[in-house]
Amino acid sequence: MATRPKTLQQARATYTTNRELAWWVFMRISGFLLIFLVFAHIFFNNIQINVATVDYAYVAARLSKAWVKVYESFLLGLAMLHGTNGLRYSIEDYFKRPGTRFWLKAVLFTAAGAMFVVGVMALWAFSYQQMGDAMNAVGHGG
Amino acid sequence: MYRGREGQWAFVLHRITGVALALYLLLHVFDIGLVMYGPKGPFNAFLAFYHQWPFRIGLVLVMAAVVYHGLNGLRIILMDFTSWGVRYQRSLWYGVLTLTTGIGIPILIKVVPEILAGKV
Repeated sequence: MATRPKTLQQARATYTTNRELAWWVFMRISGFLLIFLVFAHIFFNNIQINVATVDYAYVAARLSKAWVKVYESFLLGLAMLHGTNGLRYSIEDYFKRPGTRFWLKAVLFTAAGAMFVVGVMALWAFSYQQMGDAMNAVGHGG
Repeated sequence: MYRGREGQWAFVLHRITGVALALYLLLHVFDIGLVMYGPKGPFNAFLAFYHQWPFRIGLVLVMAAVVYHGLNGLRIILMDFTSWGVRYQRSLWYGVLTLTTGIGIPILIKVVPEILAGKV
């Protein structure tokens, strides 16, 4: 191994570069995958049907399918990371004061984390049957 | 503002659409997440609210942003990973704009009458 960084500053210079490089690569890979995931998501829910017909029954029926849960989970995870990192780039480009950056990023990461938890709960907190059963219980039909 | 050429406008549009889509994602997940509260929860009321025409026009803009951001992202990938991408980046950007329009027009033909017709 080459010379290891001996100060915090040196470590930052060494390691943030690798991490930033990893994020740089991630933005391109996730971006490429998201093109297909998002285009298909929009096609199924906005083009193939009139989006004004979307209601609880439609979403519950959709989320009761296993493949939809898996598909939307990949979409949620990749979009959350891609979007959060993109917003982080924007914050670092337009806000120079360390204090401002810190608080904006704190809000960003909190919001992203909360959104991810809500998304995972909406996708996975119920068994495949439960959402459909809840629907039938109030007479919306299956 | 710095009066750059196509490359700068490609970047500015990518940035604006990116920030807009990230904020839309946040709204979208919290909104659809209301499905957790069941059929008697606030889900249907919220969706009925968003089915009003101003939000449906907003949804058209979201779709336009998705198509542009995705296609321009492909342009960026070509610029980064091919030997010829940077040389042809300007032509590629006009290609992105043409394809965005080409995909956008059929979407408008499908969606605009639905918006004009109001809620089904």
